[in-house]
Amino acid sequence: MLLEASDVGKVFGGTRALDGASFSLDRGEIHALLGANGAGKSTLSKIVSGHHRRSGGTIRLRDRAVDFRSTREAMDAGVAIVMQETSLAPDLSVLENLFLPELGRPGRLSFPRLRARAGQILEELGVAAALDLGEEVARLSAARRQLVEIGKALASEAELIIFDEPTTSLSPGEVEHLFDVMTRLRESGRALVFVSHRLEEVFALCDRVTVLREGRTVAAGVDVASLDQQQLIRLMVGRDLGEIYAARGEGAADANAEVLLSVRALASPPLVRDVSFDVRRGEILGLGGLVGAGRSEAAEALFGLRPRSGGTIVLGGREVSFTKPVQALRAGLGFVPEDRRTQNIVPDLSVRENLLLAHTAARRGFTLGYGTRQAKIEELFAALDLPIARLAAPNLLDFSGGQQQKIIIARWLLLEPAVLILDEPTKGVDIATRQAIYVILRRIADAGVGVVVISSDFEELLGVSDRVVVISDGTTIADLPSAALDEEKLTLLAAPRTSMGRTTRLLETLAEEHAGSAFWILPDASELICLNVVVRGEGTAPGFEPGAAASFADTRIPQGLAAPPGRFAAEPDGARATVTVALRNRRGHDMGRIGLIVAGTGSAAMENSVERRVGALNG
Amino acid sequence: MSDTPSLSLPIRLSRRLEVRMLALALLIGIVLSILSPYFLTRANVFNLLDQSVVVGLIAIGMTFVILTGGIDLSVGSVAGLTGIVLALALKSMPIPAAVAVAVSAGALIGLFSGLLIAWFGLAAFVVTLGVMAIARSLAYIVSGQTAISGIPSELQVLVFGSVAGIPFNVLFLGAMYLLAWLYLTYTKGGRTVYAIGSNREAARAAGLGVLFYSVLPYVVSGAFAAVAITFSTAQLLSADPLAGNLLELDAIAAVVIGGASLYGGRGSIIGTLIGVLIMVMIRNGLNLLGVSPFWQGSAIGSIIILALLVERLVSTRANR
Repeated sequence: MLLEASDVGKVFGGTRALDGASFSLDRGEIHALLGANGAGKSTLSKIVSGHHRRSGGTIRLRDRAVDFRSTREAMDAGVAIVMQETSLAPDLSVLENLFLPELGRPGRLSFPRLRARAGQILEELGVAAALDLGEEVARLSAARRQLVEIGKALASEAELIIFDEPTTSLSPGEVEHLFDVMTRLRESGRALVFVSHRLEEVFALCDRVTVLREGRTVAAGVDVASLDQQQLIRLMVGRDLGEIYAARGEGAADANAEVLLSVRALASPPLVRDVSFDVRRGEILGLGGLVGAGRSEAAEALFGLRPRSGGTIVLGGREVSFTKPVQALRAGLGFVPEDRRTQNIVPDLSVRENLLLAHTAARRGFTLGYGTRQAKIEELFAALDLPIARLAAPNLLDFSGGQQQKIIIARWLLLEPAVLILDEPTKGVDIATRQAIYVILRRIADAGVGVVVISSDFEELLGVSDRVVVISDGTTIADLPSAALDEEKLTLLAAPRTSMGRTTRLLETLAEEHAGSAFWILPDASELICLNVVVRGEGTAPGFEPGAAASFADTRIPQGLAAPPGRFAAEPDGARATVTVALRNRRGHDMGRIGLIVAGTGSAAMENSVERRVGALNG
Repeated sequence: MSDTPSLSLPIRLSRRLEVRMLALALLIGIVLSILSPYFLTRANVFNLLDQSVVVGLIAIGMTFVILTGGIDLSVGSVAGLTGIVLALALKSMPIPAAVAVAVSAGALIGLFSGLLIAWFGLAAFVVTLGVMAIARSLAYIVSGQTAISGIPSELQVLVFGSVAGIPFNVLFLGAMYLLAWLYLTYTKGGRTVYAIGSNREAARAAGLGVLFYSVLPYVVSGAFAAVAITFSTAQLLSADPLAGNLLELDAIAAVVIGGASLYGGRGSIIGTLIGVLIMVMIRNGLNLLGVSPFWQGSAIGSIIILALLVERLVSTRANR
């Protein structure tokens, strides 16, 4: 056993953050540390890594009792933590950051030696190609910075590495890459602790799980394989949650409801190029895509927080153009930005004033007029399950993440907006609070507000929204009902267009060579989602468009789609024939089907050509 | 984390910074009145209030600026320059018009700094440092390097006039603090100033007029520099291009002693007034005690640092 913490307690001021937390860790395992917000998992991580000192209990590392007084002591003992807010120096290079702890030691540095060691470390992580040692850290993406953090842990020869919610700001592809890196580290015999909210990640990655609730260990080192999601949730929350996502209300979100907000060809370079979507009364629209795809930036451009270079916005039937947020909120648009601490909370104002901040902005004239909103505030607090006494509290930062988020949402509901946009509304809140927020979103929508939710969590996006608009590289590429989607389809749709260059070229080659049409689809039993279409031959268009869903019967090639792959199938009228071939990625994942439509009946030579070219892409 | 339990009144009061600073001011007053029998005489109290007027007026503008997270190093020089402008204007126009010209000049200089800071995003420290040098240099050039005398003695009514036995300048100071307090506490603009200093990004996202209310404090600061020098000119009946030298430091010290955070968002106009009184009392007391002027700087500096140190220790304990 590498580490054994038993009965650890920690008191902050008058609050017990930990009270009898126990945890044990072996070499060569990835151990999940789970718990709702405030359960104490971050506190425990920080005690183990020397950020905090414990108030009680014992911690044994390699069978010796330890009591780290600083992170330096923990590091010297081989314990490192990779934190949410990275602890890197942004103005220094990757190399300097990797050896940041070394810079603080006496003696001379040998840069050639550090460089050689850095090379080895990146090699061990399998990321030597992705990171340039001379690059300034400030210029790296969030995912690369995290790799530097991990490298930094290895540079200090850490044997025990704690990952504190490492996937929060990563895209699905980057998450997979991180998991590869973590698996490598496990193989090398290191012990990893994985702190996360996302249960599916725990199942995908971890060997054992320890669950904390209210500062106490409620499940210690249980095999992940022996649990299911419901059991884990019950352990974390202490009760059954039932359905996480709120059921849709009666008569809400019908496809003919009035369009409240219509956005066409919105552009705000460099991140937002061509974004279009409609929001209807009473629906929850999800804006999906990867981190950095331009979703938040599109919302900011809509709201007047970011200059817009093109596009038309129609709100409540009138064309509008906001250059300042105050115009947007007076016109009935609300926007809850992503980061609570930096973009929403004003720490020195009271809870009441924080709540009334958008009201203050919307109000014309000199005075504050807080009293005019009192009745509405009471109504909202009741609706949001917030005790009205909380209104008198001096500091919003003392609230839990969930309550903070409720206050921020209430800030906008107070203005009775027609459309409310929420950017990552459940970021950093625990599962019970998430559920409460979903219920609130659904209630807001049922009350007739058009709700737009931006989320990088595809499961959440599908669970909470009626319809999903996918944005990739700043461009809208799909607008589909959630029912037609699953996480895998969404991942494929959201992939950056640049990474699809090879398939696009393949479609072009096929279509040109055979004077027909080539397409890439994600088929289900009798439905498909189209990822891309290239039409080169007359009369060979398939009858569906990129980013749209269609049932086989509604296309112009129902026979071709229903037929088994690899052989041409002609339509009854004999005008065109279709052959499809399965597409797989390097890891053998199903990536949908590539198809070719030609006029007439097609030939075996063509079938071979398609097989060969798709096979080459499959590698 | 937990709800605030009901506490006894003194403890709740002691959590308020202004209250603690007021206690400090009283303590300093008591100590000085023991050390010097002259300190608490009517004449000296009026003297104290009189000495508070110039730095007190400047500190109002400084409070606005510091609340937004900025700083205005130019106030002393702007006071010097607008004093010269006032003296020159008085040669060709009636008193109210001349005062209006001087105050407008101060406000314009503030507008200039404010736009550079808020619109172009330059650092307040650097911009106002530059404006400090420019304003002082212009004061010398416009004045011809000498003090300008021949100010009409009617201006003295500002200092020597009184209402119900209270000097006019002290009344004016009190009225300005009342107005500033009302503005910062009960108006949209005042709360926006606090919100900007506390979290500019959130204020912007909530739709508040961040640009306008980031510039406004510098305008207010420039205008108050001019108003302050008007009172000083009225007293001396002469405008010196060197006037107001280092006044910015006294004003910043008063605001900080009054509990404002230099990061913005935290502080109050009442705290500033207490800070001004503490500064003036210490200076006055040291004079009464016959402390050499060369030692006074050391004494004042030490007391400021000590006050802040004690405050920091007390407040971390009070808020635990």
